[in-house]
Parts: sequence; C-alpha cells; structure tokens
Amino acid sequence: MGRIVVCIKGVPKPGTVKVDKETHTLRRESAELILNPPDRPALEVALRLKDQTNFEVIAISMGPPNMVPLLQKVYALGVDDIYLISDRAFAGSDTLATSRILAKALSLLSPFDLVVMGARSIDGETGQVPPETASLLNLPSITYVKELRFVDGKFIAIREDDFGEEEVEFSPAAVVSIVPEIDYVRPPSLKRLLSLKEITPKILTNAELNLDEASIGLSGSPTQVADVFEKTLVSRGEIFEGEPDELAEKLIEVLKEKGFLA
Amino acid sequence: MAECIFAFGQCFEGKLHPASLEILTPLREVADRLNKRLILIGLADDKEKFLAIPELKKLLADEVWYIIHPNLKHLPDDLCERVLVYLASEHKPYGIFFPATKKGLSVAPRVAGSLQAGLCAHVNAFEVKNGNLFLLRPTYGENIIAKLTSQRLPIMATLALNAFPIKEAEKEPLIKELKHPEGFDWSTKLTIKNFKPPKKEPSRLSVAKVVVAGGMGLKSKENFQMLFELAKILKAEVGGTRPAVHAGWVEADRMIGVSGVSVRPKLYLAFGISGAIQHTVGMEGSEFIVSINIDKEAPMMKMAHIGFVCDAPSFLKALLRKLKAKD
Ligand SMILES: Cc1cc2nc3c(=O)[nH]c(=O)nc-3n(C[C@H](O)[C@H](O)[C@H](O)COP(=O)(O)OP(=O)(O)OC[C@H]3O[C@@H](n4cnc5c(N)ncnc54)[C@H](O)[C@@H]3O)c2cc1C
Repeated sequence: MGRIVVCIKGVPKPGTVKVDKETHTLRRESAELILNPPDRPALEVALRLKDQTNFEVIAISMGPPNMVPLLQKVYALGVDDIYLISDRAFAGSDTLATSRILAKALSLLSPFDLVVMGARSIDGETGQVPPETASLLNLPSITYVKELRFVDGKFIAIREDDFGEEEVEFSPAAVVSIVPEIDYVRPPSLKRLLSLKEITPKILTNAELNLDEASIGLSGSPTQVADVFEKTLVSRGEIFEGEPDELAEKLIEVLKEKGFLA
Repeated sequence: MAECIFAFGQCFEGKLHPASLEILTPLREVADRLNKRLILIGLADDKEKFLAIPELKKLLADEVWYIIHPNLKHLPDDLCERVLVYLASEHKPYGIFFPATKKGLSVAPRVAGSLQAGLCAHVNAFEVKNGNLFLLRPTYGENIIAKLTSQRLPIMATLALNAFPIKEAEKEPLIKELKHPEGFDWSTKLTIKNFKPPKKEPSRLSVAKVVVAGGMGLKSKENFQMLFELAKILKAEVGGTRPAVHAGWVEADRMIGVSGVSVRPKLYLAFGISGAIQHTVGMEGSEFIVSINIDKEAPMMKMAHIGFVCDAPSFLKALLRKLKAKD
C-alpha cells in the first residue's frame, strides 16, 4: 500500500486578517482560520486515488494550534491520519523557510508516493511552496494539475501550461499542485464527524524536525520586508448621486463626449 | 562577482513568450542603475528555431545566452532547474527574474530552493536606493505596498504579467550559445505523453481598449451576465475581481489584479468593485475610470474620474435599457 501526503493550510477568513506592525507578516494566531479553498480539491484528488488504489492518505498542516479543528474536519472527509506541524520557531517563515519545514516533515513521513498540495493559497497567492518543497526533497514537481490518475505504478497528470495542455507521466515519488477545477468534492462522513473529539492530530514540533533555527522562521527567511507604505487616495473625480435612470443617462453623455459611444 | 542579472526567456517552438519581453523593460533600468549586464537565458530544443525568433535582435538585454538540448522542448521543470542552477553557480548572478507565467511560477521556486535564495512573487515595481535593489508588491490589507529586500544573493522574483510595456532596443544584443560540460545530467523525470494547444482563444482582456469589470457589488451571476451585454455594445472585454471569479460569476482568465491579468484600457468601468489594492494594481494604468458603488468612500470611487453612488445592478439595467432604446 502506498502513501499520499496532502499538505493543507489554514488561511485567515477573508476580512479577518491582521498584519503584525513590526514584522509586517500575517498574524495567524488572531485570525479566524478556514481551509485554504484550493486545498479542498487537492484533498479530493488524494481521496479518489485512495478509493481506487487503496493508498493511505495523510493530511499535514504547518500552522498554529488553532489549526486543530480544521484538521479534524479534514479527518472527517476520510483521510487516515492528521499531523500538525507547529512551533513558535516556525512563525514568520517565507516560502523558502516554509518549504524547508514541510520538506523535513515529509521526510519524516517517508516513504511516500505522492505529495499533493493546492495550487496556491488565497492569502499569499504565490504558489511557490509545492515546487520549492519538491526541489528541496529532490523530487519532480508537477504544477497546475487538473486531472491525476495512477496507472501501472505510474502517475499520469493533465496539467495546464502557458502554450497548451500537457499529459505528463511520472513515477513516484513526486509533488503535485492541484488547480481547483474538480467538479465534485465529497461531504464529510457522518460517522467520522461524530467521533471527531477523540481524533487529535499528531504534533510535530522542531524538537522532532530538528532544523537549525537559523534556517526557519523569520531569521531563516531571506525575503525581508524593508518597509510597507500605504497608497493614499485622494478623490480625483466627480461623484454623482441620484436615481439609476438619471445616472445612467449621465454616463451615456460622458461616454459620447469621450468618443466611446457613437 | 554578481555583475550580471538573469532574465528567464521562456520559449516554445520558436516563440518567445511576450511576458519574457515585458520583464526586460524594468530589468533594463535596474541593470543600468546598478551597472550590471542584463542577460536573457533561453532554453530550447532547436537551435534554428530559437535563432529565428524575430524579437531576439531587438531585445533590451545586453546578451542572450541559449542552451540547446532535445529534452528542453517542453521545458521540464526539473531539468530547467538543473540548467539554471548550474548557470547560477558558474556565473553568480546578482539576480534571477522570471515572468509570472505558469512556467515561470513553476521553475523559479525550484531554482530558489536549490540556491537557498529568497523569492518574491507578484513584483510589479522596483526601486534602487544606495546601490540596493528593493522589490515592490501589493500586500495584505487595503492599500498597502510592501517593499522587500533579499538578505542573500541572488535576488529572485517572479514579475507580474502585463505590468510592464514591451520596449525595443536600438542595439542588437550579443547572442551566444552556452555548452554545458560533458557529463551534465540532461535527464528529466517528466515524460510528456501528449500535448494539446489551447482549445479556446485566450481572452483579449489584457489588450482591450475598453474594459467593463464587476465585483461582489453586482450581487449575482445573473446580474454579472449583463456586463457581457454591455461589453458588446461598447466593444469591450469583461473582467472581474477575485471574489467574483471564485463565486463562479466569471471565468478565471478574466480576473484582474495581482493574481490575474493587468489591463490598461482607455476606459475602465467598475461595477460594485471596492478597489482593494490587489485589484487596483491590475487596472491603475487605465486612462479614464468610472465607478458605480453604493459606498462613496470605497477606494475605487476615489480612484475614479467619475463615480456614481448607486446600486450597481439597477444602474446596469437602466444603462442597458437606454443604450438598446437608442439603437
Ligand atoms: C494575496 C491576495 C491576492 C489577491 N489578488 C486579487 C486579484 O488579483 N484581483 C482581485 O480582484 N482581488 C484580489 N484579491 C482580493 C482583494 O483583496 C479583494 O478582496 C477583492 O478585490 C474585492 O473584490 P470586490 O471588490 O468584488 O468585493 P468587495 O471588496 O466585497 O467589494 C464589493 C463592493 O461592492 C460595493 N457594493 C455592495 N453592494 C453594492 C450594490 N448593490 N451596488 C453597488 N455596489 C455595491 C461595496 O460597497 C464594495 O465596495 C487578493 C487578495 C489577496 C490576499
């Protein structure tokens, strides 16, 4: 039986984000966390492979302790095991430091056949972590995967590229990132939902990962925020109030004046 | 040491991706200010096709270095990484920059991982101060721009698409083939079984002269559909905010902003768009901005040359009715 590890992330619920005034990084402890939406199809892809080929599926997440309820919900979807990778020393990590932490955690969970991640997180939107983690593990990465199959010991992925669509074949182990184009995701199992309280994630701290503190967290992140500044907006135009009809008429006038309408 | 800057020249079948031309514009300026040589790195499978790329002779780069190997046809991410990491270790560039194409976003993190370098995403401006390079990009929150530095060389970033105009050089760059050493590992773990060119035409949003865009203020997919009617009348392209895309009101390739495309039309109509910076960086180059929003204080209303305080769906209905009556 092979093993698939899905890396998921808790992201601040849009609108609840707070930024640390000193480090200018996101304060995840204070935000209300939701599962990063693109991670949902990533989980589904892994669970479908489990249905077909009897892979064991493990979900791991690097994040603060308030990730636990999210991991429990993910357990209810049908994964076999959940892990939280959490340590104060991890806070403030850029994508390189994050990838180092994930790569180390993954190596503790090896051997695995596949690592699945969402194509990007909606708070950072960089999409860098899957390929960067793969590179640190010296594994191939296949990004923007729309479809994934396992045939005769090999994976076949359909992925989007800039000049077209590729069908890529690769052997285990590899890291894939999934674009959220899946038509259907399964609901949680009722039976599992009822037993959630008993399920707690296994915790991996830096005591287990044993990474040099200079290589993780803020100090292990080459990318540093030198400054943040606000773009101040001064109103530059005219504001009109009134009924839709008269305002629409006004816009038509302006568009004509400017030559956008005949 | 560190006297050159690499720009990733993404090509496929004798075509250079336009985004690779775009990134040369700001990098040219950076290279001049920091007194570095700007080098476009091209990886390809066919030398003749590569050398026949028409833009090659007008590139803003000082030099073009190209590497030819049959396995580079589809630019497999793992092999691209190995080739670029080899070049970086040989030439110790000051910076390595990629366009934020799918390929760029897939290869850059691998190279950064290998080189243990920092990598900034969505960079849409640079600043040079006292010989240091700062990378600018919008960040969390309303209208905040972050200015980033890298503690280590090379400085690496992926640069936003359509954020920079393509410019041509007067002088031809020096074009030379690089040979990798005997015994270099040209293998890739990825086998391309099949390749299909895109089914549908890419949207013409990024080059449109008129853009009609909608956000959550439009309230529903049905209301959003009215934008397509309006677009027909104004010969415009339709765009949307990220939440509108996530709600399924409009396709992902019509998302405007850091995570989508940038537009610089002559006319930009914003229906129910708040104007968060992640969105506005993608449209602030618009010549004339019109905003329809119930909130007078919304940033988009401040950016706009004309703002209408109004329910966006009702405004759109009225507008369409009037425009159709005129035909
Ligand atoms: C890392 C990151 C990257 C991002 N990338 C992008 C990106 O590329 N593109 C992007 O667009 N966003 C992006 N976002 C999201 C961005 O921050 C905003 O959340 C988003 O642009 C807001 O979209 P909106 O204006 O449609 O919605 P909202 O912010 O919800 O605004 C809706 C607006 O509609 C108005 N309104 C409400 N009802 C009505 C009505 N009846 N009539 C008229 N107006 C009404 C409201 O006053 C408000 O101004 C990103 C966010 C992050 C964190």
